[in-house]
Amino acid sequence: MAEIPALVEPDTQLRRSLIYRKLLELGARFTPVNGGAVAIDFGEDGEDEARLARRLAVSDLSPLPRTGFKGAGTIEWLQSQDVTVGADSNRGYRQAGGETALRLEPNGVFIIDSLAGAGGFIANLNAAWHWGSTSPRSLIGYPMPRADSHGWFAVSGEAAAWMFAKLCGVDLRPTKFAEGSIAQTSVAKMSAIILRQDFGQTLGFHLLADSASADYLWDCLQDAMIEFDGGPIGLAALRALG
Amino acid sequence: MIGGVNRLSPAFGRAIDRDRPMAFTFEGREYIGYAGDTIASALAADDQWVLSRSFKFRRPRGVLTMAGQDANTLVQIGSEPNVLADRRAIEPALAVAAQNYDGSLEADRGAIIELFSRFLPVGFYYKAFYKYGSWKRWERVIRNRAGLGKVDIYAHHGYFDKQYLFADVAVIGAGPAGLSAALQAAAGGGEVLLIDEWPFLGGALNYSRIDREGDRAAALADRLVEQVRNTENIGVLRQAVCTGWFADNWLSIVQANRFYKLRAKAIVMATGSLEQPAVFRNNDLPGVMNGSAAQRLIRLYGVRPGRKAVVIAANEDAYGVALDLGDAGSAVQAVVDLRQRAGDSALARAVRGRGIPILEGHAVIEAAAATGKQGVIAALAARITDEGETDGKAISFDCDLICMSTGYSPAGQLLHHAGARFAYDQAANMFAPAALPPHVFAAGSVNGTYGLEAVLSEGQRAGWAAAQDAGFAGGTEPPPVTGDRGSAGQTHAWPIFPHRKGRDFVDFDEDLQVKDLVNGIADGYDDIELLKRYSTVGMGPSQGRHSAVAAVRVLARETRTDLAKLSVTTQRPPYMPEKFGHLAGRTFEPERHTAMHHRHLELGAKMMPAGLWYRPAYYGSASERALAIHDEALNVRNNVGLIDVSTLGGLDIRGPDSAELLNRLYTFAYAKQPVGRSRYVLMCDQSGAIIDDGVACRFHDEHFYVTATTSGVDAVYRLMLQWNAQWRLDVDIANVTAAYAGVNIAGPRSRDVLATLCHDVDLSAEAFPYMGVRMGSVAGIPARLLRVGFVGELGYEIHAPASQGEALWDALMAAGAAAGIRPFGVEAQRVLRLEKGHIIISQDTDGLTHPYEADMGWAIAKNKPYFMGGRSIAIQMTRPLTRKLVGFTVDDLSAPVPEECHLTIRGDAIIGRVTSAVRSPALGRTIGLAYVAPDQSASGKTFDIRIEGGRIIQARVVSIPFYDPENKRQAM
Repeated sequence: MAEIPALVEPDTQLRRSLIYRKLLELGARFTPVNGGAVAIDFGEDGEDEARLARRLAVSDLSPLPRTGFKGAGTIEWLQSQDVTVGADSNRGYRQAGGETALRLEPNGVFIIDSLAGAGGFIANLNAAWHWGSTSPRSLIGYPMPRADSHGWFAVSGEAAAWMFAKLCGVDLRPTKFAEGSIAQTSVAKMSAIILRQDFGQTLGFHLLADSASADYLWDCLQDAMIEFDGGPIGLAALRALG
Repeated sequence: MIGGVNRLSPAFGRAIDRDRPMAFTFEGREYIGYAGDTIASALAADDQWVLSRSFKFRRPRGVLTMAGQDANTLVQIGSEPNVLADRRAIEPALAVAAQNYDGSLEADRGAIIELFSRFLPVGFYYKAFYKYGSWKRWERVIRNRAGLGKVDIYAHHGYFDKQYLFADVAVIGAGPAGLSAALQAAAGGGEVLLIDEWPFLGGALNYSRIDREGDRAAALADRLVEQVRNTENIGVLRQAVCTGWFADNWLSIVQANRFYKLRAKAIVMATGSLEQPAVFRNNDLPGVMNGSAAQRLIRLYGVRPGRKAVVIAANEDAYGVALDLGDAGSAVQAVVDLRQRAGDSALARAVRGRGIPILEGHAVIEAAAATGKQGVIAALAARITDEGETDGKAISFDCDLICMSTGYSPAGQLLHHAGARFAYDQAANMFAPAALPPHVFAAGSVNGTYGLEAVLSEGQRAGWAAAQDAGFAGGTEPPPVTGDRGSAGQTHAWPIFPHRKGRDFVDFDEDLQVKDLVNGIADGYDDIELLKRYSTVGMGPSQGRHSAVAAVRVLARETRTDLAKLSVTTQRPPYMPEKFGHLAGRTFEPERHTAMHHRHLELGAKMMPAGLWYRPAYYGSASERALAIHDEALNVRNNVGLIDVSTLGGLDIRGPDSAELLNRLYTFAYAKQPVGRSRYVLMCDQSGAIIDDGVACRFHDEHFYVTATTSGVDAVYRLMLQWNAQWRLDVDIANVTAAYAGVNIAGPRSRDVLATLCHDVDLSAEAFPYMGVRMGSVAGIPARLLRVGFVGELGYEIHAPASQGEALWDALMAAGAAAGIRPFGVEAQRVLRLEKGHIIISQDTDGLTHPYEADMGWAIAKNKPYFMGGRSIAIQMTRPLTRKLVGFTVDDLSAPVPEECHLTIRGDAIIGRVTSAVRSPALGRTIGLAYVAPDQSASGKTFDIRIEGGRIIQARVVSIPFYDPENKRQAM
C-alpha cells in the first residue's frame, strides 16, 4: 500500500492552483508543496490511476516550482549558476536533479522543477539573481514570473499525441517529435509551450500556458480525452511512472 | 420476406450483414433492412423507389448513382436535412422523411407547378418580378417553396470535433489504383494514409463485372485489401470524404462528425471517375439509373434493381451490367448500344449468348412514365441517324428499369483544387489531367486510365513516385505505364438526345433540360461560367458531378467551338457538403479568469466579459443592479471597498534604456522619475490619437512596472516589441499581466485595513505619499503596492503573484470585515472614476481623439524631442480644435440621465456626443463627459443633448473633477 501523504485543503495554503475546485470535485486529495498544495491522487486506490497514466492522463502541476529568465546575458548567467543549457532553442535540457531548463529563445529560459517538487534548485536561482551594483551593470538577463504567468499540466500515456492532435496542429507523434523537443504553438486556440519529456517508458508532455486560462484549458483537455478513456491523475501516479 | 421483395439471395450483398436485421421508418411506414444497408438500398429492397421530389418541377425522383453523387436521394432525418439516402446507413429505429413536397411524397400537391413549366424557362426570374413591385408579392411564395429540407432552429448542437493528421503519403481513394499506390508507397517505409469514402475498400472492384464469370473483381479487391491490412505502415480512414485540397497538401476530410486536417508530404489522387447519365426524355424518372448504380444495388446490397430492364450501352461495362442484371433475376429486354458496333468483348459475347437482343447504333429516346411519373413502364429506342438525332421510329420495350452505361467523367475535383490542368482527350471523349502540381500524383480512371492492368500498374507507379517525393525509397521502381490505358471506348461523345417535348434533363438538381441550356446560350450566355450562373447548371447539391460535362458538350455544339478549347467550370472546395458543425468543431473560445474569479461568484457577482476576461460588474441580482452599484460606490466613498483589478495590463520594462523606451512611447517624461514613484502614462498612435493609458511605477533605476488597460495591453506590448526591434534600445519588455493578481482597496478606511496585514511598508501619508510605489508583503504574500487614485479616494493597488491572489483577497476581506469592507465591481468603479472626471480609453475617446481634444495637454511633456504621435499632434494643433471633451452637469434634477452616444446638438447640427453619464451617488445629480464645440467648452456654457424620443435637455459645462475638486481625499 502506498504511503498515505500528509493531506491538506488547498484553500488553506497561500499558493493555490487556479483549478483546485475542479480537482476537488473530481475527488482529488492534496498534499503541501512549495507553499501551496498539489493534487497527489484521486483516492486511495492507485491502480486505476496507474493504468490511466499509461493510457492517457493529465495532472495539474501548477503548484510545483518554476521560474524563468530572459534578456541579454541570460544564458551565460545561468551557465555560471551551473544550469545546463545547450545551444539550441526549442529544446529542453535536463538538469542533474531532474529539473528541466526549456530554452525558448536565444535569450530566454523557462525552468521547471522535477516531479519531486522540492524546489531548491529553483529557489537558489531566484535568490542568486540581483540587480548588482556595478556600473555599467553586468547583463545577466532578468527574472520572469513563470511560477504565476503559466499554468502547468503534464500529459502522459500512449494516446497523448492523438489527444493533442485534436487541440494542436503540431505533429507530436513520438516518431516525429523527439524527446526534449519544444513546440511553442497554439493549443485549443491559445498560446502554449509543449515539451516532450517521457515519464519512464511512458510517452509524456509538459504543457505550459496562460495561467488565467487554466480553467478553460483543463476543460478542453478533459473533453479531448473522453474518446480515449483518459482522465486526471495525481502527482503520485506520475511519479510512479519513473 | 425479411429484407423486402427485391432482396436477393446471400450470394449477393457484400456490404450487408444478414444476421443483423433492423427496422426503420420512411415517411412513417416501417421497413426492414440489414446492417450495412443504406436507407436507399433498404427501401429499394422493399420496392420503394420514389425518394424525393425535384427542386423546381417536383417530379418524383429515385436512385440515380447509388453513390451519393446526386441529389435525388436527399432525405430528412429528424433535425438533419439533406441526408444522402444512398450513403447513410440504416440504424434501428431511424425515422426518415422525404423532402420537398406538399401533402404526400406520392401525391405532392406542388407537382402542379410542372403544368406551368412554360412560364418558368431558364433565367425566368431575371426577366420577371422587377416590374410593378411584383417581387414583393412573389418573394414570400418563392422563399416558401425554395430550398430543400427543414431547418430545426431548436435543434441541439451535435458533438463535432476536429483532429490534425499527418502522413508522408496520402492516398485518396481505395479502389484498385489507390490500393496499389498505398502498398507501393508503404514499401518505402514512410507512413501512408489511405482514405476512402465508403465503409469498404476496393472501390469499383466491389461491384463491377470485369469478366464473364463475374467474380474476378471482388477476388482482386479482397486480395489487395488483405495486403493493406497486413501492412503496418498503412493507416486507413473509411467512410471519410476528402472535401478539399489546400496549399501545401493540406487536405480537409470529413468522417461522421469529425473534421480532419491532414498534412501530407505527397498525395496520390486515385479518386476514380463518375458515371455520367445519358440525356433523353424522362431520363429522371425513378427506375432510370446509372449502370453502376444497378451493380451497386446487386453486388453490395443484394437488391434486384428491377424486374425488366433495358441497358443503354456505349462501352463494355454496359455488358457487365446486363449480365449482372440477369444473374439478379432481372429480365434484360435489350441492350441499346449507341455505338454502330457493339464490339466483340467477352462480356458482349456472354450477353449475346444469353439471347439478349443488342440494338447497335440505337438510342433510348424516351422513358415511358408510369402513373404519376413514379416509375418507368417502357423504354422507347430508335436508330441513331446523326449526333443527337434518331429516325424517330420508336421501338418499345416493356421495362421498369433503364440502366445507362454511356460514359464517365474523372472525379477530378480535388485535382482541380490543387491546380491541375485538365485537357479534353478527343480519343476518349473525356477530360483528363494534363499537368499536375508538385507533390501531387494521379492514378486510375481519374487520370484517364481504365484498363485494369494499366490501373494497377499506374497505381504502383504513382505510389512509388509519391514515396520518393516524400523522401522515402518507395521500393523497386515500377515501370511507367505505356500503351493503351483503356480510356478509348469508355465514353460516348454525344449521349444526348433532345426531345421535342422536352423533359430531357441535363441537370437533375435544377430540373434543367437541354432546351434550357440552348436558350441560355441564345440569350448570350455563351461562356460556360456565364451559362452556369444564368441557368444554374451545376449549382445544385451535386455541383455538376453529372451535368457539367453534358453542359460543356451542349455549349460546344451551340457555339460551334472545339470541345478541346473548353473546360468545365472552376471546381472549388468543398467537394462534398460540410456542416457548419464540422467547420466549428469544438468552437474553442478561450476564457480568462482572475485568481479571485470563484470568490466573485460565491459573493453573487454578475460577471461581464472584458475581452477574454470575466470581471464582476456588480454584486447582486439583476433586479437590484442600480441599487447595488449605488451602494458599492458609496461604500467606497464613505468606508472601504475592494475591487479585483487583475485584468489590467502589466508590463515589466527593465534595462538601462527602460526610461528612454517610455519616453519615446508615451507622452509624458520619465527619465527623471524617481524610484518609488509612479507617473501617468498616455499612449498615442502615430496619428496622435489616444490609444491607451495607465501608470509607470519605477521600482529601480532600470525597472518600470507599467500598467495598461485590460483590452489594450496586448497591443501595447506588441507596439513596444515592434518599435524596439527598430530602435534596439537596451531594454527587456515582458508582458506579465497574467502573472499578477491585482486588487484596489479604496476608501477612507483602506489604510487602516491594510495596516493590519502589511507590516514591512510604512503606509503613512508621509512615508508613502500619493503616487508612491513600494515593494512589500501583505498577509505574507509578496506584493507591489501602488498608491493610485482612479476612484478618487485613499487607496492602494496591490499586485501579488497570481497563484496567491485568492489568498490575498481572502485576507483583505477578512481583515476589513470589522470595517464593513465590501467588494465593488466594474460598474461602481466607472461611476467613481467619472465623479473624478477620469477618462476611459475608447469610451471617452475615439479613433481620432488627440490629447488636446480630451483636455489632456497636461500629460504631454513639452521638452521631449520625440514621442510616438507627437509630430501628428503638433500638426493638428496648428489648426483650431473642432471639438472638446468637457465635463457637464444637468441642472434639471428631474431630467433623465443622458446615455452614451446621445448627441450634443446645436440647432439642426450635430456637434458631438455624450461619452459617459451617470446620476452621481456622491453628488446626487447627473454628471458626465461629452464632446462639444470649442466655443461651448468654457465652464458655465450650456449646450443641448438630444435624448430618447428626440427630447432635448440642457447641460451645463463644469470643471472636472466633479467630486473632491482639490483631490484631497486620494492624497490622504
